[in-house]
Amino acid sequence: MVETFFAYLLLGLLVANCLVLLLSRDWRWSLAALGFQYLIAFSLVSASWPLELAAVKLVAGWMATAILGISYLNMQGQPEEDEGFPRSRAFLALAAGLVIILVFGVAPSLATWSPLFATNQAWGGLFLTGMGIMQVGLGSRLFRNFLGLLTLLAGFETLYAAVETSILVAGLLAILNLGVALIGSYLMLSPGLDSRA
Amino acid sequence: MSSALLWIILPVVLGVALLFYRRENTTPLLLASAISLFLAWAAWQLPLDVVMQLGPFSVEIAPSFIMFGRSFTLTQAHAPLLAFIYLLQSFWILGAYLAKPGRLFVPVSLVCVGLLVASLAVEPFLYTALLIAIAAMLMIPLLAPSGVAPGSGVQRFLKFQIFAVPFILFTGWILSGVEASPGNLNLALRAGLLLALGFAFLLALFPFHSWIPMLAGQSHPYVFGFLIFFLPSIALIFALGFFDRYAWLRESSFAYPLVVWSGSLATLVAGLWAAVEHSPPRIFGFAAMAGIGFGLQAIGLGGLQSAQVLFALLLPYAFAVWIWAVALGVISMDQGHSGDLRSAVSTHPLTFAALVMAALSLSGMPMLGSFPGRLALLDGVAAVLPVAAAATLIGSLGLLIGVVRLLLASLPLSMDRGTAWKEEVEIGEPRKKMSELTNLYIWAFLAFSAISLFGFGLLPRLFLASTSSLAAMFSQLLP
Repeated sequence: MVETFFAYLLLGLLVANCLVLLLSRDWRWSLAALGFQYLIAFSLVSASWPLELAAVKLVAGWMATAILGISYLNMQGQPEEDEGFPRSRAFLALAAGLVIILVFGVAPSLATWSPLFATNQAWGGLFLTGMGIMQVGLGSRLFRNFLGLLTLLAGFETLYAAVETSILVAGLLAILNLGVALIGSYLMLSPGLDSRA
Repeated sequence: MSSALLWIILPVVLGVALLFYRRENTTPLLLASAISLFLAWAAWQLPLDVVMQLGPFSVEIAPSFIMFGRSFTLTQAHAPLLAFIYLLQSFWILGAYLAKPGRLFVPVSLVCVGLLVASLAVEPFLYTALLIAIAAMLMIPLLAPSGVAPGSGVQRFLKFQIFAVPFILFTGWILSGVEASPGNLNLALRAGLLLALGFAFLLALFPFHSWIPMLAGQSHPYVFGFLIFFLPSIALIFALGFFDRYAWLRESSFAYPLVVWSGSLATLVAGLWAAVEHSPPRIFGFAAMAGIGFGLQAIGLGGLQSAQVLFALLLPYAFAVWIWAVALGVISMDQGHSGDLRSAVSTHPLTFAALVMAALSLSGMPMLGSFPGRLALLDGVAAVLPVAAAATLIGSLGLLIGVVRLLLASLPLSMDRGTAWKEEVEIGEPRKKMSELTNLYIWAFLAFSAISLFGFGLLPRLFLASTSSLAAMFSQLLP
């Protein structure tokens, strides 16, 4: 009973956090939500992985968040949202609602299909993946795109943790996360960098 | 000593070390090309898993290297492929002397090739997708140099390469279930669908191909050429590995036709777009896209023939892409990335001649490199799926039209005489032309281009003799 309550609480927190990440216009709030998202993903992954291995995801995620944050601090003038990006909060909330409905439909069948997936893990992983794809698809700005890519990877890792416990994969996925953050940072800062550097 | 130490860790470590070399001279280029040539020679000559006596020392190159409980295995069967990869890498490094893609190219390309070799060696082999994605990420600083706002093509490229990872990794997990119960059609279909989506992203198949022409038009042609040869080629070899490892995939009724049709569609779309394209770098992109389509069709032929035809296509394709990339790189130093070839005919006549040969070879002209492989491919595809072969032919024709239009537009004959004469007498043009005509490196590049492209086209038995040894690494495809 208590476990079920905590599982629902975790998923509720995940949904609220993803909405903050999606709707916030302030980069500080977005990055705080990204950091919190890795904490939730860590608790979902720790159901299948040893704690010390699951911590790799948390540390790598927080490092990726820090890299993006430092890059944003160093940007000369913060660019406005591109005209192509839908700004309306109502539209974005509706799009997130569609993802939630989709995940409600798919997650139970995924958990039924393979006993390796716990229901909340399937739900959380699919939700993060869906939100990541949505952000990557809608975002025309570099920062939003990279937040989306990191969210997508966090969702995939949550799901994949249920079926694979290899240390090498954990390491490679951590490198991939850090690489995405570093490339995001490079692309955000590169217009202002010295071309001879 | 293990094979992974020699062919994976050594180039990666050298590449990382060269990143810290800040002086603007040819030392990194010479060192990296010498090491690449040595690695190609070692793969060609040194036996694996055999104790060798070197004076008082005995050396054995062990095929496996264990890391975090997983192994990186390069056996004797991989040796021809390793020799091919590192020989090509030495060409790409030497070509950087002419094309000037930037200081970072040599070290980053070396690290990328090390990672791509690791992707072929890793067991379980599905982790290949992760290593390819990491190699793709390393290329980003070269594709979007500092000081310039990044184009949308770079972002799209990165997104699609990362999208491929989840699909391919999950496929691996489902495939283990399919192996356990091969009669479960539902599971096989799910695995097939995930695999198809993963490879559609990885190989930039229609409709996920849009980053290729975008990136071709926005980035340095030499860097783009390196990327568009190595990443899809390794991905194609990875795809062939699926057929080699999974018997149910070889025996399924849907896998081979699906692969042939995907390849035909890629070739058709690339050819149609190329036929109406004006920008030389973008036509280069479409030619590369068609190359991926031809490679996929070769895999779809099935059996040993698939591996042999794939390598018969890849060998001349590798040289044609390199030659085109060097030539466009040299020309873009004057013309910018738009690659306007009109004045290149007068300022870079030798480079332009090499570019013409490479372009015609990539479009499948008889007597040039790609022709024997394409002929064998079309023969095989027409026997099983004639409509797909017709689509491929239309695509090839579109590519040829695009290349011929590009070349005609570049020649002074296509302009009115006044304009052509003016271009000839512009101040400074004859001096540039003279400097190219007295440049020994450009002459050597042209001679090499002619020998390699005509060699593959006219003497395929000699130049493509290694295809059977390259194909031997796919032992399960052998009859």
